[in-house]
This record gives sequence, C-alpha cells and structure tokens, in this order.
Amino acid sequence: MHVPDGVLPLWVYILFLAISIPTIGYAIRKVNRRFDERLTPYMGVLAAVIFAAQLVNFPVPPASGHLVGTTLLAVMLGPWAAMVIIALVLFVQALYGDGGILAFGLNFFNMGIVGAVLGWSISLVLFKGLRRFRDDESAVLISTPIASFIVIVMMAFVLGLELLTIPGLGFEFVVVITAIHVIIAIGEGILTFVILLYFVRAKPKLISFLSESIAGKTTREHSLKNEIPVEEVK
Amino acid sequence: MERDTFLKVILPAVVLLIAITSVLIITGLASENPDGFEWSLFEWAGVEEPSGTFEGLFTFLGSGPVSDAIAGGIGIIIVLLLAYIFFRYSSRKPE
Repeated sequence: MHVPDGVLPLWVYILFLAISIPTIGYAIRKVNRRFDERLTPYMGVLAAVIFAAQLVNFPVPPASGHLVGTTLLAVMLGPWAAMVIIALVLFVQALYGDGGILAFGLNFFNMGIVGAVLGWSISLVLFKGLRRFRDDESAVLISTPIASFIVIVMMAFVLGLELLTIPGLGFEFVVVITAIHVIIAIGEGILTFVILLYFVRAKPKLISFLSESIAGKTTREHSLKNEIPVEEVK
Repeated sequence: MERDTFLKVILPAVVLLIAITSVLIITGLASENPDGFEWSLFEWAGVEEPSGTFEGLFTFLGSGPVSDAIAGGIGIIIVLLLAYIFFRYSSRKPE
C-alpha cells in the first residue's frame, strides 16, 4: 500500500501533498483539547502498535500484506485523531525509506484520509445497525473488522485509479491491485478484531464508539445509587 | 510523564511490541514476499521496479533480519514518543 517516490508522475505527488498537508493541519485543530490528558499514554502506545503491526508482513502468496489500522484507529479515537496518528506513522516510515518522502501526501491520502473517513463512516453505520440486536461491545467487535475489510479493498481501488496516471498502465492494474487486497483485507479484518478485543477488555473508555455508552452506564448507576433522576445527574 | 504511567503502560507495551516484532523478523516468520503494491505492479506485470532515491535513515546498518529488527525497535520508540508528545500537549487537563 505504501507508494515509493519515482513511480507516479511528479504532478500527482504534488497534487496529493497539496490536499494532505492542509488536511493534517485541520485534523490537528480538531483533535486539540478533545482528549483527556490521562489517555495520552494509551494513544502513544496505540500509534506504536500500528507502526509495529505495519513492520511485519503476513504472507499472501506470492505477495504479502500488513495491517494498515486506520479503521481501527478511527473507531477508537475518531477520524481526526486517526489521521494524525497515521500521519506520524507514515512520516517515520518515510524516513525509513518505506513509502517515499515526496509520496507522503499520496500515501496519507490513501491510508489516512480515505481510510479514516470511510472506516469511521462504515463502522458507525454498521455499529448503529448491530446495536439493535447486540450489546455495544459485540456490535463494535463485529462492525469494525467488517468495515476495515471493506476499507482496505476501497483503498486499493483508489490506489489503482491513481496508478492509471502512469503512462501505459491500463485498467487491468486497478483490477489486479484490488483483487490482491481482497485477500490482504481478510488479514486486516482478523488483526483489527484481535487488537480491538484487547482494548474492549482492557480500556473500553479509549474506544469512541463505546465511551458514550460507558458514560451513560455510569450516569445510570450513579442515578440508581442515589435515587435521583438521570436528567439531574447529567 | 508520571512514573506509574511509564511503568504500567508505556514500558510494558514498548518491551512487548519490540520483542514480538523482533522475534517475528529475526526468526523469518514475517513474510519476505514483496507487498501487494510492489508485487502486482512491478513483478506480476513484468514492469521493472524503479529504485527509490532515498533508501532510509538506517541503511548504514546494512540489510538483514537483525538490522531490520533494530531499526524497527527504534522506530517503535520514535512513533510512541512523537504520538505521546503530540497528544500530551494537545490534550485537556482533567478537572
């Protein structure tokens, strides 16, 4: 999924840098003052988990794939914080020669913007649908891996479209890239489920989809304990 | 950073992440196959892969599983610190 420098025409890299850099600035503004200071160590750990997971490729013979993690981040922290973390991860990876420095904007567009916006939106729709039949924890554990599967395939399709700017490449490359990522997306879904399961058990407060229901539960418990109406507690 | 937070959250996470990734890389459990993008575009289609102009900060370590594991471990710490510093300064103080 990481595009190196020197593959696409220069104007494509410049165009995506022009889209991505202001988006990162806007994401930083949206994140400002949103999170409680006590959660920051977990957010650092989450960024490190994403970086580490992207270091290790799983085999999809004859190719391989790795976790992208944007949907997971978007469900946990919201789309803007997900974009900030993906930007940090991609920046460090670019310094490592994984994905080009000039290609940073393009890679951020694919994995950060497309991933976070679609991942968060699809997960939210699925989550709201599923919570009618399941508890919130199960709903988030089902909806997020499904959304991450769909998002990886869509990211690959977008990447394929970008590759069409290379002279001589035809639409068959879009099909090939998308097809390979259908298999990689299964791995993404499984890894997303495993990591999310850990956080659902260990730190559900960090999952934005669950934090509302946790706050609601706390309010209800406090209300019952003190025999006061929920509205007054709020 | 409070000592408790460092000892209970950050240190175990860093040690665990570095240990897992190092074991996977050094023992060869991480796939060496080219990833989906490179494979589909360059190898499967028979297109010659262009060489990047910038090979990365850690090329002086050479290539191999041990140097990959060392570079990966350093990267994990760098990302964790960058994210921690960013979110620490942009967070709101608890009431």
